[in-house]
Amino acid sequence: MSHLLEINNLRTHFFTREGVVHAVDGISYTVDRGKTLGIVGESGCGKSVGAMTIMKLIPMPPGRIVEGEILFEGKDLTKASERQLQSIRGNDIAMIFQDPMTSLNPVLRIGYQLTEGMRIHLGMSKQEAQERAVELMDAVGIPAGRNRLDDYPHQFSGGMRQRVMIAMALSCDPKLLIADEPTTALDVTIQAQIIDLLEQLQDQFGMAMLLITHDLGVVAGVSDDIVVMYAGKIVEHTDTDELFGNPQHPYTEALLGSIPRLDDTRRRELANIPGLPPDLVNPPSGCRFHPRCRYATQICVDKEPPLAPYDGGPGHLVACWHYRDSREK
Amino acid sequence: MPTVTEELRVTPAKTYEGPLLRVKDLVKRFPITSGIVFQRTVGYIHAVEGVSFELDTGETLGLVGESGCGKSTTGRCILQLYKPTSGSVVFEGQELTELKRSELQSVRREMQIVFQDPYASLNPRMTVGTIVGEPLAIHSIGKRRERKGRVRELLDIVGLNPNFTNRYPHEFSGGQRQRIGLARALALNPKLIICDEPVSALDVSIQAQMLNLLDRLQQEFNLAYLFIAHDLSVVKHISNRVAVMYLGKIVEIAPSEELYQNPVHPYTFGLLAAIPIPDPVLEKKRVHKVLEGDVPSPDHPPTGCVFHTRCFRAQPICTQQMPPMEDHGHGHSAACYFPLDHESRALS
Repeated sequence: MSHLLEINNLRTHFFTREGVVHAVDGISYTVDRGKTLGIVGESGCGKSVGAMTIMKLIPMPPGRIVEGEILFEGKDLTKASERQLQSIRGNDIAMIFQDPMTSLNPVLRIGYQLTEGMRIHLGMSKQEAQERAVELMDAVGIPAGRNRLDDYPHQFSGGMRQRVMIAMALSCDPKLLIADEPTTALDVTIQAQIIDLLEQLQDQFGMAMLLITHDLGVVAGVSDDIVVMYAGKIVEHTDTDELFGNPQHPYTEALLGSIPRLDDTRRRELANIPGLPPDLVNPPSGCRFHPRCRYATQICVDKEPPLAPYDGGPGHLVACWHYRDSREK
Repeated sequence: MPTVTEELRVTPAKTYEGPLLRVKDLVKRFPITSGIVFQRTVGYIHAVEGVSFELDTGETLGLVGESGCGKSTTGRCILQLYKPTSGSVVFEGQELTELKRSELQSVRREMQIVFQDPYASLNPRMTVGTIVGEPLAIHSIGKRRERKGRVRELLDIVGLNPNFTNRYPHEFSGGQRQRIGLARALALNPKLIICDEPVSALDVSIQAQMLNLLDRLQQEFNLAYLFIAHDLSVVKHISNRVAVMYLGKIVEIAPSEELYQNPVHPYTFGLLAAIPIPDPVLEKKRVHKVLEGDVPSPDHPPTGCVFHTRCFRAQPICTQQMPPMEDHGHGHSAACYFPLDHESRALS
């Protein structure tokens, strides 16, 4: 069977007064049923825009899908009508966002917000939907769910609100869950609880997950495969063990070296990536990482490296003229 | 470049005999009020409840804990930005809690702060030159020309182009703004800088630049840092010693490596376990979820040990009495009746 989600050469640009922002500039990846793909990168690398584009949740205009296909179960979502999309959003593809404080409506009761999707997509009665909401709250670890249906979001803590969001996302039994920085706003002990919960629910519901985060620690424990993005492009794509054990792109290497790790035995100087991420209105020519790359040569300025299998392993894609193994030869 | 007078030149801070900073039994409670016209106090937020520690010249003490544990309030109470409810803050032998406003001003030359949010902590209507030079102007140090030279020097020290003095904060990225905040803090040659989550708003590559910079400046100017953060891996990286706070109290304090190798307080253990390590092989072996539930509200902290509601080792005594700080050797102390040892850690 084909992939659950297949993104082909997707380009999402924003047409602003300052110029065209090349937020997502030709990315391709696939997600299979029941698997987790982690998308990592720093702010502004296009990881969120890429995911929002799947659901067409970016403001259009100024945003526009300039090129590419988003195939969900073989159907191209870029060509789908708003009506068709509405039957997919929250039903086949659900999403949880970073900020649990602002992604719930503060003036509506939790019970209403939880049951809304089920009544629209599954045609459940209010009664049925409420029963299911209580079950879901139990599944995501909200104690005494029945008593909390009439509560408002402000009566929940940050971690509990994120659990409500997850319950809401799961309510229609989605095939794909897009989690955009689901734990970034939470404290570490709560983050651990939420990640644990997501993994457990993924097993239980068998859904695929697209996990977008800047935290390499979080993806290391959860993802099957990882995509590393930089300035709107994918620079490296491989399975999790391979990425951490055998990073080939200079950006991935530097990113891994720049994180202080709890298991460092002695104080070391952190890897330095000089400079700043580029302006996506006028991205650098050739390889977009070349102005910050210590291995850059003339070819990197002139020609964009293709994302191609690196000789070492099957399915390990790198977009670099001087990936690590080629430098060491 | 204009000449800089001797007074303005950055010189390493003189070494002071004894601890630079001594905080003892620090308490800060914020009143909760009710009523619109006649306000009455209906309760207190127990933000800081009896915090004690010492900090030496040139040393970094990390202060970690989850949101609402009182770590930032502690930092602000030290600077007397908040008036502590009780307790003492002794800086270079001088008791700060008894000083008048005017007396405090001269002490504040020695202690500065860098804030978390690089977008909110710089005045958007002031140029970078004015922002960095403001401490010098307030303390009437040097003439205008000399101050300008010093500002250029400071920008250079933190790795910014000295010609940026006429630009405004919005022209800079988050990491660069944080450098501006740091230059401002360095302007008066302080001995102590309180870093209140200085890197948590930054991307990892920028965070690494900032941490390396803080490291270099400390060595160059013999600065002491009180490094407040929620990210234990960052704190462990930069600190000599680490204090772990929970609901207004320090529950464990130890040299950083020792704290990581041998956490004795169940909260520290749970906190360490919760942090993901960017290594899939290690990650598969680790158990993250040791702690259940949320941090209780600081307006009604639990009786006895404040951590007992989430603790996996709690016994009846924990609900009745707050355990005292006990020495575990190697500069390691913790407040727990049932501290973890090697065996119990393996079991948990």
